[in-house]
Amino acid sequence: MFRLKAQGNRTGWLVLAVLFLLILLPLAAVVIQVLLPGVFFGNLEIGNLSLLLDVFRRPLWYVSLKNSVVLGVGTTVLGTLLGVALAMVRSKWTFPTAKLLDIAVWILIITPSFILAQGWVMFASSDGLATRWLGWSGLHQLVFQPAGLIIVMTLSKFPMAYLTVFAALEWKVEQLSDAARLSGGSRWTVWRTIQAPLLLPAICSGAMLVFMDTVGDFGMPASIATIFRFPTLPYSIYSALYTSPIRFDMAGALSFYLVLLIAVAMSVQLYAMRKSRFDFLSSRAIRSVPKWPAKGAYWLMGGNLLFLAVVLGIPFGSNLLMSISSNASADAKSGLTLKHYKALFTTDGNLLSGLIHSLEIAAVAAIIGLVVGFLVAYVLNYSEFKLRKAIDVISLVSLAVPGIVLGIGYIFIWNQAWLEKIGLLLYGTPWILVLASVAGVIPVITRVVVGAMAKVPRQLLSAAQMQGAGFLSRMSSVLVPLIKGALLYAGLAAFGASVFDLAISSILYPPNFMTLPVVINKAFEDLKFGYAAAATLTGGGLVILIIAAMELIFKPARKRQRRSSQ
Amino acid sequence: MLKKARQKGILLIGLLTVAISITACGNNGGTPNNSGASNAPNLNGGAEASPVADTGSKDEPLVVYLNDFDEIIKPMFEEATGYKLELVSGNGAEIASRIEAEKGNPHWDVVWMDAMPTIDQMGKNGQLLEGWSPSNVDQLTDFAKGFVPENKTYYPTGAHAAAVIVYNTKAFDANSAPKTWADLADPKFKGDVGMADPAVAAPAFPFVAWFFQTKGMDGAKSYFDSLLKNDLHVYPKNPNVAKALTGGEIKAAALQESNAYALKNAGEPIEIIWPEEGAPASVRVAAIQKDTKHADAAKAFVEFILDPKTQQALIDKGEESYFEASANGVTEKSDRAANAKLVVAEAAWAGEHEGEIKQWFADKAVK
Repeated sequence: MFRLKAQGNRTGWLVLAVLFLLILLPLAAVVIQVLLPGVFFGNLEIGNLSLLLDVFRRPLWYVSLKNSVVLGVGTTVLGTLLGVALAMVRSKWTFPTAKLLDIAVWILIITPSFILAQGWVMFASSDGLATRWLGWSGLHQLVFQPAGLIIVMTLSKFPMAYLTVFAALEWKVEQLSDAARLSGGSRWTVWRTIQAPLLLPAICSGAMLVFMDTVGDFGMPASIATIFRFPTLPYSIYSALYTSPIRFDMAGALSFYLVLLIAVAMSVQLYAMRKSRFDFLSSRAIRSVPKWPAKGAYWLMGGNLLFLAVVLGIPFGSNLLMSISSNASADAKSGLTLKHYKALFTTDGNLLSGLIHSLEIAAVAAIIGLVVGFLVAYVLNYSEFKLRKAIDVISLVSLAVPGIVLGIGYIFIWNQAWLEKIGLLLYGTPWILVLASVAGVIPVITRVVVGAMAKVPRQLLSAAQMQGAGFLSRMSSVLVPLIKGALLYAGLAAFGASVFDLAISSILYPPNFMTLPVVINKAFEDLKFGYAAAATLTGGGLVILIIAAMELIFKPARKRQRRSSQ
Repeated sequence: MLKKARQKGILLIGLLTVAISITACGNNGGTPNNSGASNAPNLNGGAEASPVADTGSKDEPLVVYLNDFDEIIKPMFEEATGYKLELVSGNGAEIASRIEAEKGNPHWDVVWMDAMPTIDQMGKNGQLLEGWSPSNVDQLTDFAKGFVPENKTYYPTGAHAAAVIVYNTKAFDANSAPKTWADLADPKFKGDVGMADPAVAAPAFPFVAWFFQTKGMDGAKSYFDSLLKNDLHVYPKNPNVAKALTGGEIKAAALQESNAYALKNAGEPIEIIWPEEGAPASVRVAAIQKDTKHADAAKAFVEFILDPKTQQALIDKGEESYFEASANGVTEKSDRAANAKLVVAEAAWAGEHEGEIKQWFADKAVK
């Protein structure tokens, strides 16, 4: 037992060091700009701390903070409810088109929020597709108000909650529910008093992910701003960093409030989960297999298709229509064309080389991220490491901190002249993109893996250790097989998400090393809306193909295994 | 089952090894060519520039940060001079932000952007090479010579309208359309007009700065207040304005010149008006980083883009081809209006008041 502890501590320090370097240090480098504005440029002077209070004095900042809180809380509540409900249904029943729901969730996770938001804008704006093609002129007022934005956000962010809970439902201990049913509990009572409480860690993780992803989201407020002004903290941070005169100190002050929001959310989560233990999985656990419902399979199918038509059909349909429209207004009259897709392959090689660069960066980032995320989850679940809570918080931070903040922080940290002497001047090389992408994917990977690991009791590992199994063999023969579904999902989600990370790559890409999002964004700024939409869909399609292929490679093994265990 | 598990274990160990070896590779600062960027000639960019090469060997690339013409300038410059060139392109704000963040250890040798007030401030802060005159500086037009600052930190390569008046020809004809900047506040056009947000869009600042300098702070504030009272639509960036205009959400706009011509050339129902009092202009300037290790190449680059032949090529082949050249003897785009009159806010004044003006717009927007 003592050795297991020592092992946990060593891993704990390693993980903490990695997270500190990848996430905390760059973030701190930006926040410290409030206190010491010139610290990275060789002059030490005390900054103007009253900037921190300006959030209550400047109208824009105050509105931003308020909007972020409203949007974050609203989306978290609705998104978690939606995600949990869907995950429950999906893990209990199978029905035609159920697989489509799984795919849709992945698509939503890896699609950058600005593309989803843009699709919604194209659809719902006053002269948008809903008005022009369907004649729904009232939709505009419904969507472009705070409650409408919360709904749109919910429909884009619920997958985080869905996946976390769905992964947690992979194994279940039927005995508990059976005992309760035998004792006369109704289905609802059993769900409420046994199943739901056991899912609490997964639900909390899911809610946390939704909250972080929402408060840190920049794409939505930026896209919506074309129609409805709804500045949030990331939006105002962006303004401070991306309009001259460039004010790192203001970005630092606003980032401080983002960090504060995260801290509050974490405290709420900790309070909700205090004193509970959730490692209920025992040798009696069985893999849950969705059943065909006694009746209503086709109702489920219908509901599913309708739901998918809204969450995927609207944003992607709008983008698709834009990509095959011959003019920017996507008129019904002006006709359809494939010229934007042709242009992808005929114009200079920027798009292709950008795509290759992005895929490489994302693949390396996903692999490294998976290793880091696995270790983080291990420490959180099994070690007595005293700074576990700190690791927990840091591993989530980069979800809520906008990519531009991390990007600027990475320049501050990795562009110091003395690093050149020891060969660590990573800024200006593709490695800076890899590191920043790892930072960006750690939250997703960690949460998915933590949710799955929470159900594997420590005794299983201890038992293996008593039989003489070393750390690596405990991991490879006990832990990894039990959670490999979650590991695969985590890695693929990380890969998909980093391919499109615009914020990080636009500020950090080395000379002559264009990436896909940079190319797409440039097309958008040059008014080539159709080209941008075509490039997005083509790139996204390719990523989905890669993910599907990876799933296929790993899937057969799982089926065979299930058969042999029966 | 066990065998399977062992295989997975091997896989995991494999992944770890890959990760560790990758990290180690990064730690050694080796050339990380395995990330497969074989089409990028030098992955490390300016980062690996040797500290003694202040004469600028021809093998080391010159690094230029720019916001336009990235699609054609590299081969043009390399063929003409033999120097190697590497580019970082982005919108004006991204580049400015990057330069500012790199201040402790700059990676760029030349910056070339249509952001004269920002670059003027950089010159005053001692970030730029001072007192150097390009050999072909006498070829500048009189209009352009007026922009060269006393400390000779930057040189103009062209100017374009930060905004012209554009209107949708389905909504107005030449008679009914707005013709002057004051017309935009006319109740006749209530709710019809759009512009980019000066607090967000980089090109919108030179546009409003001219009003603030000529009308005075209070005069300009009351002018823009009157536009806002007239239900002016403010969009984050110029492309959004263009989209709203073609989509029918607005019927007229103050739109950046190149965007306006791009729409017109794409066959959108758009007409362009150059107001008689002048269109506030954005001036594209080039400046050399003070501590550049490639001074010769950098100077060659600045002289190259001041050259009339280069500017002619940019107009004939570039994407941002609608601009007034800074060198004499360059023929403009034939469809660019003959009466195109540009007016410019003084760079020093605009640079000093940039923060204040932008904050006014930012706070205005949320009220």
